[in-house]
Amino acid sequence: MPSGALLFQSVILGLLLGGLYALLAAGLTLYFGIMRVVMIAHSAFLILAAYLAWWSHTELGIDPLLSMLVTVPLFFGCGVLLQRLLLARLRAVTLTMMSVLLTFAIAVVIEGLLGYVFSGTQRRIQLGYGSASLELFGGRIAVVKLIAFGLAGVALAALYLVMKKTTFGWALRATIQHRDAAKLVGIDTDRVAGFGFGLGLATAAIGGTALSLDTTIYPSLHWHWIGPLMAIIVVGGLGSVPGAAAAAMVLGLAQSLLQIELGTTWAQTVFYLALFLTLAIRPQGFFGGRLAQRF
Amino acid sequence: MTNRKTTWITAVGATLALALGACGGDEPEEANNDGPIVVGISLPLTGDFSEPGKGVQRGYEAWAKITNDKGGLLGRQIELKILDDQSNADRVVADYEQLIGSDQVDIVVGPFSTRLVVPAARVAQEYGMLFVEPAGAAKEVFEQGFKNLFYAAPAVANDHYNHLAEYLLALPEGQKPTTVAYAAMDDPFAQGTAYGLKDKLEAAGVKTVVNEVYPPNTTDFSSIAAKIATSKADMLVGGSQYQDGVNLIVALQQLNYQPKLAAFSTAPTSPEFAAAIGNKTEGILSPTGYTQDAPYESNKEFVEKYTAQFGSPPEEDEANAYTTGQVVAAAITAAGCADQGECQQKLIDWVRTATVDTVVGPLSWDEAGRPKGAHMIQQWVGGEIKIVLPADAKESDLVYPKPAW
Repeated sequence: MPSGALLFQSVILGLLLGGLYALLAAGLTLYFGIMRVVMIAHSAFLILAAYLAWWSHTELGIDPLLSMLVTVPLFFGCGVLLQRLLLARLRAVTLTMMSVLLTFAIAVVIEGLLGYVFSGTQRRIQLGYGSASLELFGGRIAVVKLIAFGLAGVALAALYLVMKKTTFGWALRATIQHRDAAKLVGIDTDRVAGFGFGLGLATAAIGGTALSLDTTIYPSLHWHWIGPLMAIIVVGGLGSVPGAAAAAMVLGLAQSLLQIELGTTWAQTVFYLALFLTLAIRPQGFFGGRLAQRF
Repeated sequence: MTNRKTTWITAVGATLALALGACGGDEPEEANNDGPIVVGISLPLTGDFSEPGKGVQRGYEAWAKITNDKGGLLGRQIELKILDDQSNADRVVADYEQLIGSDQVDIVVGPFSTRLVVPAARVAQEYGMLFVEPAGAAKEVFEQGFKNLFYAAPAVANDHYNHLAEYLLALPEGQKPTTVAYAAMDDPFAQGTAYGLKDKLEAAGVKTVVNEVYPPNTTDFSSIAAKIATSKADMLVGGSQYQDGVNLIVALQQLNYQPKLAAFSTAPTSPEFAAAIGNKTEGILSPTGYTQDAPYESNKEFVEKYTAQFGSPPEEDEANAYTTGQVVAAAITAAGCADQGECQQKLIDWVRTATVDTVVGPLSWDEAGRPKGAHMIQQWVGGEIKIVLPADAKESDLVYPKPAW
């Protein structure tokens, strides 16, 4: 039986990890909601953003958080272009299938370019506050993990407000719910889809920066992330951002607690078990979203 | 399709090599005796292992140059014949067949990376050649029954921490650490180092409170760190490569875990280590197979001449290759010959019982070719990494318990 201190510490770590997962998965579920696109390259963009944060810290000496001033607009632009120039050209009938192939290719291109430019060496941002921590009832909270968690909270809250309170958000949700009906009431769904895709990629810029604060990065790291993130959005209900966030918190916590008994290697399987159970029992997901029923 | 093609080429190549080798054997051996001693090597100069492969190449080149500048061996110059195996285990067999059979090299020495050592040693054994190798510390290498193989480094992975184990077990009761946490990468070399120490401490009654194994691609160490931190173990042993060690140390510092002793394999000796963990290195221990500061006579010459030749001081890969060269050179000098045929058995017999002075200290081997030594132990003291064990090579006293990090 693990000690109380270890359990408490693991809960803290699990919540912090879950928050990061929520941010990383948000964009992924958004793409699927808007366009039924399975975006394999999402995690490759995360790693790209992490590399840009690392590079601006190492080469320019600025705090990695400031790199977001450039990467967020840049990724938004990339997302719009990606959607308008490439994904919009796929035929509607085979969209989901072909988008896997197309974004797989994009992921490989990004990985290759990262390896070419920065080499395969593992990198880590060295921050003055990298090992600082706060105490909370005997547990410890690392400052960098808290910053990442805060970034996730702010970004997800902003995303929520955009979706609920702005005209663009309404148009975006209408496009997600029923594309043809949205067109009928005068929404330029192509434009909205483009911006929606940009929004998703912008979350990747924030997520990648949060990721880079407290982990080692290398070009092929994105393969390590895409599986768990896909599992999270399916468990959460495809297309539902709050669903993805809830699933991320639950699975992050579960992974952290399972590591106590099972060790690092086996705790990773929680994502795939959850994915399997979801598809077997409740394919539309546990936290909202009805899109998966259309398969 | 490509695979089948490669297999065919390898098969044809091997057959040709055998045929040519058989023809070559008829020539009178004395004809070679005034020419250079040709040393055949296959190395990964391109592909995944090209970085360490080139390091090994530089080590061999430095050895050849330094030896030749002093007049060579037995009055003959040394000539290296290096083939590129492209980091491909299939090629290494064909390469050594070619070197021994058709190129008729006088001596062969080992390739780089553990998994290439075994197939290469098998070829050398078939031809009865002495096989000294600079890489291949995993225990599997020595369980194949080779009679010709010698590993030219101070110790196999499981013996890296021997000096530290001796030191700890000699401490008086009350000071001795009583609980230890182990975390090792799922890798034969990294695990070997940590478990070598674990076996010795457990046998002496030191309790293991955490024993974690993690996959090689792990980047999030916070849960492992939480287990170690809440166990409050006196001592921490990490079977690490590089980044995993760095990530684990940072995660432990985030949890404010302060052990009396922390030892990590490989990572702390890397030049980037201190910066990577924010210079909070005080007291961290690491076993090391080679250091430029080692006080051995030939090491001073090696560091000086190597630096003059290549512009920067040698690292462990270079040193291991150089050590291999030193062992072969000592054998050739003692046996008075360097040719294929009967001479090889003389060389093998000599190395079997010899103690050779090298840049990593005096080396001798057991019947399976395992070196009988242990690694030196280094510790971060006052912002620099210094040798602390064994006592006769130390630059500084071991600091125990270690200061807070």
